Amino acid sequence: MDAAEVAANKEAEASIDLLAIVLDTNPTQHIVRQNPQNLTQILEAVIAFGNAHLMQKAQNKLAVISCSHHATDFLYPLPGRQVELRPIDGQYEAFSLVEKTVKQQLGSILMNAPRLSSPCESLLAGSMSMALCYISRLQRNVAAGVKMHSRILVLTGSNECASQYMTYMNVFFTAQKLSIVIDACALDKTLSLLQQGCDITSGQFLKVTQLDGLLQYLLWVFMPSPQMRHKLVLPPPPKVDYRASCFCHRELIDIGYVCSVCLSVFCKYSPICTTCHTIFKTPGPLPIKPKKKKKTEKQM
Amino acid sequence: MADTKSGRYASSSATISPLVQSPENLECKNFQDYLRTRQTPESLEKLYNYPPICLAVFRELPEIARQFVIRILFVDQPVPQAVVSSWGAQRIAKEQMEATSCLTALNVWRVTAIPGGLAAWELSPTFKKSVRQVLLGGGKPWAMTNTLDKDSKPRDIAFLDTYAMARWRCVLHYMVGTGSRNGGTDAEAISPDAVRILLHANLMKRDERDGITITRQGFQFLLLDTRAQVWHFMLQYLETCEERGFSLPECLSMLFQLSFSTLGRDYSSEGMSHQMLMFLQHLREFGLVFQRKRKEGRFYPTRLALNVTNKDAAQASTSADDERMQERGYIVVETNYRVYAYTDSQLQVAVLGLFTELLYRFPNLVVGVLTRDSVRQALRGGITAEQIVSYLEQYAHPNMKLVESAIQSKSCLPPTVVDQIKLWELERNRFTYTEGVVYNQFLSQTDFVTLRDYAQSINMLVWQNERTRTMVVQKNGHDDVKRYWKKYSKSGG
Repeated sequence: MDAAEVAANKEAEASIDLLAIVLDTNPTQHIVRQNPQNLTQILEAVIAFGNAHLMQKAQNKLAVISCSHHATDFLYPLPGRQVELRPIDGQYEAFSLVEKTVKQQLGSILMNAPRLSSPCESLLAGSMSMALCYISRLQRNVAAGVKMHSRILVLTGSNECASQYMTYMNVFFTAQKLSIVIDACALDKTLSLLQQGCDITSGQFLKVTQLDGLLQYLLWVFMPSPQMRHKLVLPPPPKVDYRASCFCHRELIDIGYVCSVCLSVFCKYSPICTTCHTIFKTPGPLPIKPKKKKKTEKQM
Repeated sequence: MADTKSGRYASSSATISPLVQSPENLECKNFQDYLRTRQTPESLEKLYNYPPICLAVFRELPEIARQFVIRILFVDQPVPQAVVSSWGAQRIAKEQMEATSCLTALNVWRVTAIPGGLAAWELSPTFKKSVRQVLLGGGKPWAMTNTLDKDSKPRDIAFLDTYAMARWRCVLHYMVGTGSRNGGTDAEAISPDAVRILLHANLMKRDERDGITITRQGFQFLLLDTRAQVWHFMLQYLETCEERGFSLPECLSMLFQLSFSTLGRDYSSEGMSHQMLMFLQHLREFGLVFQRKRKEGRFYPTRLALNVTNKDAAQASTSADDERMQERGYIVVETNYRVYAYTDSQLQVAVLGLFTELLYRFPNLVVGVLTRDSVRQALRGGITAEQIVSYLEQYAHPNMKLVESAIQSKSCLPPTVVDQIKLWELERNRFTYTEGVVYNQFLSQTDFVTLRDYAQSINMLVWQNERTRTMVVQKNGHDDVKRYWKKYSKSGG
């Protein structure tokens, strides 16, 4: 190891790693409707994973955020003084605090959630912005000379939600600017939007095929901090579907019309841009280019 | 002429060795070194029965090693070595080797054979069980977590901080001899036990008049930051704990339980053995725990005990939670090498005097200047530039940390001063010492040239001067050159 690498290692040991987990707890997710037990299993895996992150270094930090169809809530940490508890088994005090708090909070959130009749999509993008806000608040409180590396891990079994396209993109580019890595773990379907986000912020995207091995998947792929991922052999990035969703029907499109002023994307031509109200001329047939007469004349 | 003994040699190794040998310096071990050098596989296995120790060991591992352990923590079969080595990228192979050897040395994993004749790694079952317990729960609760009824007068963090620092400073004051001489009260004296540890650690020694004085290592100890001091002191304590009749695993486990506890919470000493209660009393004396009365079954760990192995962690966590470090900074360093210290403490002045030239003293202010001579004197005393810089950084005045350049860079000291101190240290390392043998008093120039050319051809020549016919040959080349010379002079050259 040369001197630079040793210094980098030392720096990595001294820095704070903040992991914000955004957990989709929407009860209308396909996997939850299939078997309600799955949610418990996911929760257990997430708690164990979060604690494993805290176990890595004493100064590591963790935040768990639940995301549902109607609200986003912090599961850990809670504002104010932490609940007093006496461990009943051999678990490390700080870890059992995480476990108890997360379970308690999620329980009360699920009990108080409004009933719904039809499936709704989760407010994932909103929860991610909340995580970003939390990260930037902690970042401000960090003392001079101490580095903090932050990342967000999204766990979801929801479908693609193209309707939140704008929010998603804002989140991704903000994260990229703040050099926050976004990782995503899809439990049900491949989500091209999240995949784009991971690609933009150089995070990992993983689609879990077997829910039973969820914890092992998480520990394997998402445990290493982004700074040390290049040292390990991890699944290669899959081909990312970079299609944008149109602003009129919220569908992913290959080819479309783009407003020349505000860059809004439309799948069909419209004379007035719905976003910035610019009026376009009706497109006529392409003008025929005048032949380059002068040049030919000179040659003659 | 040919048979006269023309080549006379004098071994110069005897004169060089005092130069090469540096004075005995303070050796600061981290937890990993401690385990590697002091423990056998069997005793490590015994230590791993205690979940707090396992957690501490886990956090001490290199980063890659931690990832490996996490990956196989929930795998029940042994994992083939080839598989493990395929986890790391090709270009970090060396780092990965170090990580695997570290895991082996600490007996965290061991080699087993799996069907098919492949060598495989398997986590030590005790270690695996304990780490799983720490992570997921189960098993017996940690010793000091018995339920307590609510403390009627709970102590807050600020109180614990001042208490801990006052206790710890007692030890330091004792070392520089300011505590007792200034008519210190009973609370400021330290117990014979603590003195014995200081003597054992070679931080202090008995002098001729049967008094106790501080040693060179002791001064270096004073320059460490508080965290490192506590850790070094505790290591020395642990070395003597067997002769006190304490069991080492129990003490270590207790120490780490304290280290992983929450600041500002009370814990119960109920159900502890007699030895552990004694140990607790010792910790109380050094300020690692606060206990109102000796017999009270309730104690508070202080900041000194938290994260005892890891300096970075402690710094990051305390500052991130927006809490004051226990000791306020008092030193201002200017770019003109002046050092202003707002202090009236004998201890701090004594430490500062180790590497600065003190100019003025006022009731609450000491002014000194960092000069080449003063720094070199400290360096000669075995103090490193790194230690000086870190001491100045640690006790930098809060205003120093608010300067624009301090916020941008890692250090709050003027970069010129830091660089200069480091240069002064490098200045002393201009010599490289090589043991060698001198050949001189050759009778003829040809003899000299032949022998010199031979020595050069086997790359053993260190230095030569043709005019005085002197040459120096490396020590391990001496036999070869001598043999060559014998052959050469016999053949009548």
